[in-house]
Amino acid sequence: MIARDVCERVLRRAASTGADYAEIFAEYTVNNGIRMITGRVEAVDDTVIAGAGIRVFKGLRSVMASTVDISEAGLLRCAEQAAEALGQGDAVMDIRLRERLFGDVHPVRIAPSSVPNQEKVFVLREADGAARDYDACVKQTRCNLISVDHSILIATSEGLYTQDRQIRTRLAVTAVAEQKGETQTGTVSPGYRMGMEMFEGLVDPTAVGVEAARQAVVMAGAGYCPAGVMPVAIGNGFGGVIFHEACGHSLEASSVAYGVSQFAGKLGQKIANEKVTAIDDGTIPNAWGSINIDDEGTPSRKNVLIEKGVLKTYMIDKMGGRRMKMEPTGSARRESYSYVTTSRMTNTFIAPGDDTEESIIASMEYGLYAKNMGGGSVNPATGEFNFAVNEGYLVRNGKICEPVRGASLVGKGSEVIQKIDMVSAGLELGQGMCGSSSGSVPVNVGQPMIRVSSITVGGR
Amino acid sequence: MKFEAFKAAVMAAAQSEGLTDYELYYVCDEGVSVEAFAHKTKNFTSQTSGGACFRCIVNGKMGYASTEQLSEESARSVVLRAKENAAVLETEEEVFLGEGGKTYAKIERESYPLPTTEKLIETALAGQEATYAADSAVIDGGETGAETFRRSVAICNSRGLDVKSDLSGAFCYIEAVVSDGSEMNNSYEIKVGSFDKLDIPATAAKAVADAKSKLGAGVAPTGSYPVIFAPKAMADLIATFTGIFSAENAQKGFSRLLGKEGEVIAAPCVTLTDDPFYPDAPMPMVFDAEGSPTFTKNIVENGVLKTLLHNLKSAAALDKITTGNAAKNGYDGAVEIRPFTFCLAPGDLTEEQLLAQAGNGVYIDFLGGLHAGANPISGDFSLQSAGFMIENGEKTRAVRSFTVAGNFYDLLKQIAAVASNTELRSMGGVTGFASPAVLVNGLSVAGE
Repeated sequence: MIARDVCERVLRRAASTGADYAEIFAEYTVNNGIRMITGRVEAVDDTVIAGAGIRVFKGLRSVMASTVDISEAGLLRCAEQAAEALGQGDAVMDIRLRERLFGDVHPVRIAPSSVPNQEKVFVLREADGAARDYDACVKQTRCNLISVDHSILIATSEGLYTQDRQIRTRLAVTAVAEQKGETQTGTVSPGYRMGMEMFEGLVDPTAVGVEAARQAVVMAGAGYCPAGVMPVAIGNGFGGVIFHEACGHSLEASSVAYGVSQFAGKLGQKIANEKVTAIDDGTIPNAWGSINIDDEGTPSRKNVLIEKGVLKTYMIDKMGGRRMKMEPTGSARRESYSYVTTSRMTNTFIAPGDDTEESIIASMEYGLYAKNMGGGSVNPATGEFNFAVNEGYLVRNGKICEPVRGASLVGKGSEVIQKIDMVSAGLELGQGMCGSSSGSVPVNVGQPMIRVSSITVGGR
Repeated sequence: MKFEAFKAAVMAAAQSEGLTDYELYYVCDEGVSVEAFAHKTKNFTSQTSGGACFRCIVNGKMGYASTEQLSEESARSVVLRAKENAAVLETEEEVFLGEGGKTYAKIERESYPLPTTEKLIETALAGQEATYAADSAVIDGGETGAETFRRSVAICNSRGLDVKSDLSGAFCYIEAVVSDGSEMNNSYEIKVGSFDKLDIPATAAKAVADAKSKLGAGVAPTGSYPVIFAPKAMADLIATFTGIFSAENAQKGFSRLLGKEGEVIAAPCVTLTDDPFYPDAPMPMVFDAEGSPTFTKNIVENGVLKTLLHNLKSAAALDKITTGNAAKNGYDGAVEIRPFTFCLAPGDLTEEQLLAQAGNGVYIDFLGGLHAGANPISGDFSLQSAGFMIENGEKTRAVRSFTVAGNFYDLLKQIAAVASNTELRSMGGVTGFASPAVLVNGLSVAGE
């Protein structure tokens, strides 16, 4: 993408006003998306993103300049801009780059860019047909097949020169069902860090369409969820959004390093129920949130965040590490060259426990079973979070009863992780796009079924 | 390669491919920002981003392709890719490109010089100091920032359309983090416009007061109450459900408002206006993403739906004319429909009178998780909230970590009164939402 000797010259220019660290992040990304609405291909998105971001640090000060011009002249101008914003002077930093190959633990067999649009449309048609054939009350569908081919180059004043190619594919199906004038939706959106071979046994478009339709039909026939404080069983897979929102964001250096986290200064302390072991692992082969290296060139790794309730580590980027006086953990991520890197999650999940799903449901006299969860958000400073229940059922006397819609769960992270008092086996991961200051990045959330002994359920 | 050279290369490539209907849309965003933390500057960022989107009509279908690389090679590549992408499309809707030769409004607004980098630094640091000075409860953690932005947009096509817009401005934000020793809270204030008119101490004091007011907050009791949404909370709610007013969504079955023009869809006190030239909006636009002239219009007037928002395609499908609301999500997205500044017209009550009318209920000044707890298709919402209890017509104890639930279509009809204290929520770019406080009767609150 950019030759090593060019990077050396650009880094020297960037560091010329006294920076103690300089970095180039360049990318060439091809985004493709085909959208089918109720049986017809409606749009094809096809975008090339290319540019570079240059960062320099001096102590705890950081400067970032970005450009779409990745010619040597364009990069030198960008480096100059960053250098001038940092300080003045004629500092000389001896920068010799050595290429480092980290290897790729996420093999891709069929690069999506090599597959004609028509073949991708077959996948959409299969999913769309399955959703609409599921039930007559499915009135509309929206199916998207998204592929991302993201090549990155990172060169730093520490001598690192490396590249990585990240290919991701995702199918998203939303079904809209109508019953007695009520409109409800169901969405299923599996994705992996792999190519079109995802559809050769791992993801069945028919099953995705059927599941989206099933959720929509069940919810269209559901009454409103009652409001109140009650025990809640949260299903596996995307249910892990509870940990992501309630706790995960508050363990990122982007909040901890600045003191705006309820978990700042609590390493080694018991912050969660002893049933909770939580892990962020960017090394899971072909998982949606996986990375070989992070966006600062640090190799990804498995970080045990909480072990049996005790806080073991945070997720840390380089600048966060400087502030916290801790090493980076392979957690630095950015949506693209035009965002400033910060610490983010990859594949984050609650590890399996020794309860069973049956015992969790049986333990609840009256409560909610949140089978499928939607998205959520958190304010790390206060720990207050929210997330939506896409498919919920009331539980009475240990039995799953009627479906309920419109529920959301709210609470405070530091309190709710103490209340996760049952954890089953059966870990699954669910895919999402996580938005934060460094943009939108692919992440997995995950867990086996868990029970929260009491939480506020928003409903009516 | 500069845009003008790229444009010429794209047009030449389109002609050599035998295309007759095509368009190039270009956006360049530039920004400089300074962030300060704990009395010192923390980050400085200078960004240039953007790209060009080519689209063309082939056999009645509109294909798109985009790039951020402006080069001879990519000029040819976007043309070929857009042609190829058109071939796979199956929609039956007729597609359009805007015509040239239109007359556009003139924006009558006093321009202000963009702050220099030194001024940005000075403002960000002054914001820090003002925050600490405002109250001893302020702790490290709050960021203040000052930014300038500049957006250039150009559209040119084979129908003679050739329009350009260059907009720039500045804003600053102040975050206050406060602690009472046992818990923390934070709050933000954002001010858009000339820094010369900026009252930093007052802005910081407001952020601090808001953050402090929720320390030690309790939880609202579960029940059904009259609810007052403060201006920002109501603007956020309207923003979340604004898609129901898109004619395209209605035509595709994602909104219930298809064919409801002339019908009562809201309480008589509800008038919703879309204003591309709203006085405080950061980016007033005289043309939309198809190059159509923009104008101010009522969408709902005294509770009656007057029109949906249209672009060329949605309007033609219903034999109407565009409302100039074509919009793109970034430079590369397909043309969709969005308002510019969508405003709920103010009533004549003060907020105190609104509180008196509510009697006993809940005042909500924060809604969270709008992307998750609200379903823009069904209209259902169940949202994390914070605010105050209303007792005997007055705001009393602070409450947080509860939810408010309802349905937006029903809520429009349940609005009992509208205050006069309009505030603007800018979503960045050209879209904003403005609302005063409103009183809604009978919403479900889930708390303790």
